[in-house]
This record gives sequence, structure tokens and C-alpha cells, in this order.
Amino acid sequence: MPTYTLNVNGVNRTVSVPEASMPLLWVLRDFMGFTGAKYGCGIEVCGACTVIMDNQREHACKVDVSSAVGKKILTVEGLSGDVDGAKAQAAWVTNQVPQCGFCQPGMLTATTAAMKAGHHGSEIAPEIKHICVCGTYPRINKALGGL
Amino acid sequence: MDDLAAPANGPNRRDLLKGAAASFILPFAVSFAPRRAEAAATPVQIGAFIRIDETNTVTLSIGSTEMGQGIMTGLAQLVAEQLQVNWSQMRGEHAIGGSGAGNPYANPLFHAQITGGSTSMMGWYNPMRTAAATVRDMLIQAAAQQTNTTGWKLGTGGTVTNGTTTLTFAAVAATAASVSGLPAPVLATTTKFVGQRMPRLDIPAKVNGSAVFGMDVQVPGMVFASVVHCPTIGGTVGATPAKPSRPGVLGVINLGNAVAVIATNTWTAIKGASDIERNVSWVLPADTSRMDSASLGATAQNLLTSASSGSVYVAEASGTPTLAGAAKTFDQTYKLPFLAHACMEVMNCTASVTADRCEIWAPTQGQEFIIPAAAAACGLSNDKVVLHTTYLGGGFGRKIESDYVLQAVQCSKQLGVPVKLIWSREQDFQNDRFRPSALIRVQAGLDASNNMTALIYRNVSPSIKLQRGPSSVSNPEDTGAVAGAKGLPYSIGARQIEHVALPTDIPLGYWRSVGESYNTFAVESAIDELAKLAVINPLNFRRDRLTDPRAKGVLTAVETLSGWKNLPPTGYQRGVAFLKGFGSYVAMVAEVGKTSTGTIRVSKIYVAVDCGVVVNPDQVEAQMQGGIAHGLAAAMWHQATFVAGVPQVRNFNNYPYLKLQTMPTVLIKLVASTAAPGGVGETAVPVVAPAVANAWAKLTNTRLRSLPFYPGTTMGGL
Ligand code: FES
Ligand code: FES
Repeated sequence: MPTYTLNVNGVNRTVSVPEASMPLLWVLRDFMGFTGAKYGCGIEVCGACTVIMDNQREHACKVDVSSAVGKKILTVEGLSGDVDGAKAQAAWVTNQVPQCGFCQPGMLTATTAAMKAGHHGSEIAPEIKHICVCGTYPRINKALGGL
Repeated sequence: MDDLAAPANGPNRRDLLKGAAASFILPFAVSFAPRRAEAAATPVQIGAFIRIDETNTVTLSIGSTEMGQGIMTGLAQLVAEQLQVNWSQMRGEHAIGGSGAGNPYANPLFHAQITGGSTSMMGWYNPMRTAAATVRDMLIQAAAQQTNTTGWKLGTGGTVTNGTTTLTFAAVAATAASVSGLPAPVLATTTKFVGQRMPRLDIPAKVNGSAVFGMDVQVPGMVFASVVHCPTIGGTVGATPAKPSRPGVLGVINLGNAVAVIATNTWTAIKGASDIERNVSWVLPADTSRMDSASLGATAQNLLTSASSGSVYVAEASGTPTLAGAAKTFDQTYKLPFLAHACMEVMNCTASVTADRCEIWAPTQGQEFIIPAAAAACGLSNDKVVLHTTYLGGGFGRKIESDYVLQAVQCSKQLGVPVKLIWSREQDFQNDRFRPSALIRVQAGLDASNNMTALIYRNVSPSIKLQRGPSSVSNPEDTGAVAGAKGLPYSIGARQIEHVALPTDIPLGYWRSVGESYNTFAVESAIDELAKLAVINPLNFRRDRLTDPRAKGVLTAVETLSGWKNLPPTGYQRGVAFLKGFGSYVAMVAEVGKTSTGTIRVSKIYVAVDCGVVVNPDQVEAQMQGGIAHGLAAAMWHQATFVAGVPQVRNFNNYPYLKLQTMPTVLIKLVASTAAPGGVGETAVPVVAPAVANAWAKLTNTRLRSLPFYPGTTMGGL
């Protein structure tokens, strides 16, 4: 079985997976216990699986595990230890954003990546095209406004 | 809720049990860190709902399912009010699932542990306050008993006090748990928590990734499964296919109407299931004509005009409605599609079945149904089923069903190890229990003074009740199918409200706002058309035909909120819609213009709601915002179509939702009320489409009577 060492939320872990083409999402969820990133569509439409790799947001449902090697991977579980991520989380709590909450890890990681790219406030909203079936958009917009 | 008590239609459980495992490699154990260890100390349970631990944390166990609507927080506010604790002391959790008589977690409104119909706050408002006040009195009595003194009363921050000594709840909890014989409690009517914007208890976990949804459950030693159902609805597995030759696949299981692929991880299981989809020898249903959008459409049209009287359910009749003699007459037909639920979290379940126990972790709204179904599938008694409810990544009525749960149970039973079973998004769309389509004819008359004199309303729509009930009935009294049309509060004159069941084998289900989701579109569009016929401002037309002050109140509130009496911005028009439903009243105004390509652009939505006593205004507003997003996406784009029994929608790319960029601005007015709490989870959904259609008619003089506004691949608008 192919074996990879991944750096997730600042910690290196080595995992063996059945296929090299396995998307990072499932390696995180099923082999490493990081279940924060969600499966929503598997076709890069919904954004629920979004993680940050070397400060860029990525759809973990499409990134091969092999191409995540050597990158710094940040998931929702690691946001509280990240300056931008912690700010985004605080804004989400202040504005009481989540309903079911399932899409929110993707919303938060995408927001954090946007902040890392130097974007702030209402500049961020146009970049986030994720789906929230619960319709938390008004509150996300409000939360982004203060970032 | 009668309908909800019927068992879900679907493959016979006995058939499911017949499936045999083929060519199994014994799965190796995948090891996981166990879920967060339970607190080691000894928390004290006082009654069914409230637990107090040694740190004086008060944990509320709820029977309703938290699926985003905030019920965990709302119920905790009721408890906090009676106990006068600090909000930081409150926690919430799902109770262990129950079923049948004597289940303390059954919604007191209908005595079943089901979350649906926007009934959680309606059902629990008084019982939960009473339960908490009882615990309060037990704690006070316990202090008296422990100290052998009198004069104890409730303190603040989770204490009881006699004026000189103050004891924490934790210090008296063990004694309190066995206090009995107290008189009925007096309910506190303070508003420190009730009516306040208390922050949700589940939000911290939902922003740090620690919230456990169904698909996040980890059980030591579990394997992973995914399924492929027959691409044609109703098809079955002819022969168990060979195991796909993909590294990580452990085996396959024939589930009767689907094949489960078992693997060392979810992705391999999903891939394996799609690998074998074409290799399975499916036994197709003999006749798919009742599962074909085109032929169903033709049948519906037929029934609309010429259903035999024996197949018509007359849900409401008063007087003899006739258009003869009316000064103005109206006769139009409205059309709505089947819809998918598309919960953000696909169907999934984890189960661990042994010889004498069936443990289940499920994102479910239907604990009541799961327990007996799982017990039967395992050959166990109900008390051997242990059901844990996880957070739900959306439910919307889909997760009231047991189909996906039984698949996990069946797999674990055969394998003898815990199994986490997850559907792919494609399987989720294709194997939904769809919102029924509807073809609705509205005939009405106005007299010379524009009073409504007659309403003849016929809805031809597949019946959920018929599909789940005895098959000999062709004319079920399906009250759900006329919800939103029966008992309209308008002064209408003579009326006859009818439902004709459209025969179909498409699996049907409860979709957020159920009957109102289609009837309200027809009713509120027709009312608007009648207002136009009468040349009367459509908001006044409605208000003048209502007598209930709460109904008039929401219309007046939305009139003010939207600036209805002032001109809309250039290039925009406003449309209004109203609903009395789910124990609440809602009036909505949509402000609609055109996009650069001439399609519908919804810039603003104003909504006024009277839902009785408001427990948490912030959460009522959240449900208005969410209901609008849900209703607008459905109105604009959503339709589930079928070709010879094959569902055509497969993923979000052909079932789009609003985005941050397309969400209209939402302005909300909560109308103060002291009436009993009504529901809010579904209330906003049905009025969105008619409000938008009514605005568009005003703007363009074009009346849209068919949903979605942008069907097929055009996906225009917003
Ligand atoms: S799961 Fe990756 S974008 Fe939807
Ligand atoms: S909060 Fe439920 S999908 Fe976004």
C-alpha cells in the first residue's frame, strides 16, 4: 500500500492508503480521524470539503493524497491555532452563523484562505461559491464584513 | 401527523434479509481513537431530561432532533428559565432514541419520537417547562432534606439557598433524584432566557470541527460501506455481483434492491459501488410508465379534468360553489414538479450488530420508526436496539425514513463488525423520497363588489398516504395533500377543495413544508390574480378578506416593513404572499427586477411572522432566512424528473442552490404575540415562490404558473 507522510494542522503523520489516487478528503476523514472536512458532492461544486494547503484553499475531494505530501495542510480542526482562522471562527460565533453546520467547515477554511491572500471584509464574499442548503448566507455575509 | 405514523414504503425487510454475502475477505480492523471519553465522574440524572454533574453543569437531553433549526438551544432556554442557571452552565445532547408507549422523548403533541411538521417547540413548550420546574422543586426539597431545615428557594447560577447558606445543584442533586410526591410546580414566567437571543449551544462545536454528524461517527473496528441501487426505481439485484477488483475492497453484500460494497475506507467503497453499477444484473420493474415524468404529466392532466367521482377526495365543502352568475370568473392551472431533499449531508448510518444487540448511530428525524424496524431486521426485541442520534447535516423530512439505516444494520449483521455506510451524492439524489408533483386547477368567482363567491380547487398530486397505506384504497383522505388549501382563512364564499391521487411508483416523501409547499403556490398566485381581476391592491385584497387579527397583523407588518405604499426602486416591483400554517402566520413581500439577461432577479425579501411566543428571536430569524433560501432555490431551479423510472438528477451541478452572491437581502419583522408557540422551520418556504411570481407578474405582466421558473438546463436568474 502506498505510504505518505502528511503535515496536518502542524503535525506530521504517516498513513498507508490502498490507492495513490485517493483524494485527500478521505485520507483525512477515514485514515487520520480528521472528520471536520465534509463530503458533499465529490465533484468540486459544493465546497464542503475545502481545506487549506500552503495557504491556498483546495477541494479535498479532488486533491490526490500524493500531491498533498510536503504541503502544510490546515483543516477546520486546526483553525483555532491559526491567527486568521481563529478570527473567522470568532466572527462565526458572534454572528451565530451555522444552522445544521455541515457546510461551515468549508466556509470557514475558504474564508481563512481568503484572509491569508490579503482579502478582507466584503472582498471575501465574491470568492466563496459554496453551497449552504440551510441558507446561512445573510449571516456569513455579516460575519465576513468584520474580517 | 397521522401520516407520519405509517411505515415507510420500500423493500420488504424480509427481502433485505435474504441477501447473502459473497466472496468475503474478512475485514481487518481499522483502529481509531475512541470518541471522546465520557466524563468519568458521576453525573446525576434527575428525571428523563436533566443531568447535573459535579461541575454544576446542567445537561439537557432532547428527544427532538437538532438538524439546524436550533431546537436544542430553544429547549435549553426553557430549562434555564425555570432553573435560573447561567447560560454557560447549560449543555444539550440528543437523548437515546425511543419508540412506542412510555418513551419520555416522544413529542407530546403526537406521542412519537419524530421531528417534523415544525412541531418541536409547539409540542415541548409546556412539557419542558413543567419538567424543568419539577426538577427545580426537587432540588429545593433536596436541600431541605439534606440540611433538615426549611425555607429553601431557588438561587442564581445553579444554586438553592435559604438566605444564609447557598448550595449548588450538584451538592443536592443525588438527593433530588429520589424526591417524590411534590405538588405540581408553578412555572416561572420570567424572561431572562425565554424571548432572548441566547447563543446556540451547538455553534462552538460547529465552527471548530468537533460536532459529530452521522458521517463523522467513528467506532473501533468499523469497516466502511457504500451502496449502488438499481438505476431504475424499483429494480432489484438479480444475482450478487463479483467483488470489484479495487485495492481496499473487502466484499459485497446483496441488499435486495441494492448492492453494498464493503471497504477499508469510504472512498474505495463509493468507487467500488460505481465500478459495479453496470455489472450487476438488475431485474427491472415490468412497468415504468408510472415513473416517467412525461406520462405522469399526461395522466395528471386527465385526472384534472375527468377523474371519476370515486377517486376524488373532497377535503372541504361548504355551500355549492359555482361560477355561474359571478360577475368575474377565474380559471387557471398551476404546476409544480417533484423535488429532491438534497440534505447537505448525504444519507449515512453506522451500525454495530451482535447476536443480542443492535447499536446504531444515525442522523435521524425518525427514531420512532428506526427502533422497531432495526429490531425486526435483527430478530431482536425493541429494547435491544440502542439508537444514538447524531447531529444532522440537514434533514428537511428526508431523514425521517429508515431505508439508509436498515442498510447499515443489515451490513453489520452479516459481517459481525461495525459498519459505517455512506451513500454517494449521486445515490442520494437518485434514491430520494421525492416531494410529490402537483397539478392544481383553481376556479373562482367574484361578485360585482369583488367579493369572492366561489372557490373550486382541485389538486392532482401523488399521495404519500396512499403509497404508504393499504394498497386497496384509491381515494385516501390525504389531509397532507390539501394542507395549505383546506381551511383557508379568506372569506371565499362557497368552496370545494379536492384532491385526486396521481398514481405513481416514484417513492414519495415529506419535504420541508409538505402540502403547503405546493398548495400555497397555487392559492397565493390565484389570490393575486383575483386581486388583479378586481383591480385591487393585492395586499389590501387579502387583508380585506381576512378577519383573524393575527392574519391581518402580519400583512400590515410586512406592508410597513417593505414600504409597500411607496414606489419600489426603478426597474423593480413587489409581490406579496401570505400563509397561515404550522401554527403561525407569515406574510412575505419579494422585490423583483430583471438581470442583465432579462431573467428574474430577487433583490430583497421582507417577511413578517407571528409565531406566538418567541423563545429565541435570533433563531426564528435564522429559520426565516433559511426558509427563504430554500424556497427560492426550489422556485427558481429545482425539479426532479424521471425517464422510464430513472431519476435524472444526480448531483448539485444540475440541482443548484443559492450562493452568497445570489442570496437576496432579507428583512424580518417578528410580530409580538402571547399566543402559544407556533412552528417556524417550514413557515417561510411556501410563500417564497408565489411572492416572487406575483412580483414578476406586476413587473412584466407575465404570469408564471409553473415551477420551477427556470427548468431544464437554462438555470437562469438571480
Ligand atoms: S465535496 Fe468537494 S466540493 Fe463538494
Ligand atoms: S449550515 Fe446547513 S448546509 Fe450550511
